[in-house]
Amino acid sequence: MSLFSFLGTLEIGLIYGLVAIGVYLTFRILDFPDLTVDGSFTLGAAVTATLIVMGVNVLLATLAGTIAAACAGLVTAWLNLRFDILHLLASILTMTALYTINLRVMGKPNVALIMEPTILTPFEGIFGLPDMYMRVIFVAVCALIGGLLVAWFLKTQYGLAMRAVGSNKRMAQANGIVVKQKVYAGLALSNGLVGLAGALFAQTNGFADSTMGIGTIVVGLAAVIIGQSLFASRSMYVIVLSCIVGSVLYRLAVSMALNADFLGFSASDLNLITAVLVALALIFPKLRNEWKAKQAARKEA
Amino acid sequence: MISCKELHVTFNRGLPTEKLALRGIDLTIPQGEFVTVIGSNGAGKSTLLNTIAGDINSTKGQILFGERDVTKVPATGRTADIARVFQDPLAGTCGDLTVEENMALAYGRGKIGRLSSALNTKTREIFREQLARLNLGIEDRLESQMGLLSGGQRQSVSLLMSALQPSTILLLDEHTAALDPKTAALIMDITSQIIAEKQLTVMMVTHSMRQALDHGSRTIMLHEGKIIFDLAGEQRANYEVKDLLNLFAQARTDGEELDDDKLLLGA
Repeated sequence: MSLFSFLGTLEIGLIYGLVAIGVYLTFRILDFPDLTVDGSFTLGAAVTATLIVMGVNVLLATLAGTIAAACAGLVTAWLNLRFDILHLLASILTMTALYTINLRVMGKPNVALIMEPTILTPFEGIFGLPDMYMRVIFVAVCALIGGLLVAWFLKTQYGLAMRAVGSNKRMAQANGIVVKQKVYAGLALSNGLVGLAGALFAQTNGFADSTMGIGTIVVGLAAVIIGQSLFASRSMYVIVLSCIVGSVLYRLAVSMALNADFLGFSASDLNLITAVLVALALIFPKLRNEWKAKQAARKEA
Repeated sequence: MISCKELHVTFNRGLPTEKLALRGIDLTIPQGEFVTVIGSNGAGKSTLLNTIAGDINSTKGQILFGERDVTKVPATGRTADIARVFQDPLAGTCGDLTVEENMALAYGRGKIGRLSSALNTKTREIFREQLARLNLGIEDRLESQMGLLSGGQRQSVSLLMSALQPSTILLLDEHTAALDPKTAALIMDITSQIIAEKQLTVMMVTHSMRQALDHGSRTIMLHEGKIIFDLAGEQRANYEVKDLLNLFAQARTDGEELDDDKLLLGA
């Protein structure tokens, strides 16, 4: 793998680290499997790119993309909480609706940002760093700040209440926690993070495309699972940061599989590689535990 | 003080599966009174407790805490007054969170969740002090995951959690039913201590007639959504389990025999 493609992989991995944190919030914290992210990732990118092309300030455009994605999360939460639509189905409905909405937002299947200013423009040539390093450092800082903020949030009273809602609704309610409010807040936060990732992706890669969000949920889930099977910890900081590390490792693994000539994979084999990697990450902890149990039994004998 | 006036609860109203769970409960429990609630399965004991807690909306009637009408107040709005312990030891605590995080949740009961740290040295000290009362050594396991504790330990912790915040009402829904006799006795012991200490108004649902007579100062029996008798004072002091069974048989106008094995076994 060349240095250039390594840095590119790192960059995408770090951006998807934010997606992984969002997925962790819904799947693990709230126990609310949310597929909205496939649509909200694109929505964040589409809104941001469209606004930038219209001449809006890049920071405002990024913020708008994030908020739009957070609103998509609210719609899913509303369908589930107000009308008792199964969470998975509610999120699929929102995701499907977002395909059309994203096309409408952009007015065409994709928007190019090649000649436009982006959130990265002020940092170009800073300290004489080549752009490819600068971009990685920039997204690393974004992912780290996002991760630390989420970890801190989960340790506050409000965050703890959110974790209780995902773990035991009845107990949460008996302790005065307004369950619905926490679910709304959690889905907005989760999709907001995913939308921010989409906005950053569009700006670092120079485009927004209506199909860019497909498979976001699988990638996010893969990152969460890889991160957590490698770093078993109860510390919120470790858990959230392991989502980012998991995302980077996932990207590196995919990239290596695609680049290894002796394996003979081509770019179109991506989905198979993804599925196998996720399956391995899921199988690994189970096999490890079985192996440990066997070792212990052998020692006793 | 809890007052229920003409309280009705109907499930699946207007559907073929309609069920009248409570049919006109009139009950006033003065501040500081400990009432035990008995009745066969499906009599409406848990429904009554859940309606008072706000988990179930009443179809008709009124509920007051003191002078405050809470009929329309949702469950979370009543938690400043009410503490609860459930029958299922797993229901009262979060297995995924640590002991101290569970305690922190209960410590914040009835308050607005803020963006300040949920745990600090001061609250940990309070939790450790409270847990030490149990003599189960849980005070040294603050950072253990709740799910690793046994059912009895979890129930003990959830009992302590109910007393962390000042409240006026304690609702106990068969909170010792899922425990072995020794642990059940310990839990009942701590329950009595907490009640005496905090001067709480208590409703305790139980399946055991012995427990119903041994604890508290008043016993009510529910049958088919109504209070069929209400015992207190000297009359109650002279009652034995067999008298309760007789009374139950008499109260039934159609002469139906009490056939609930659990009630008899609980004796």
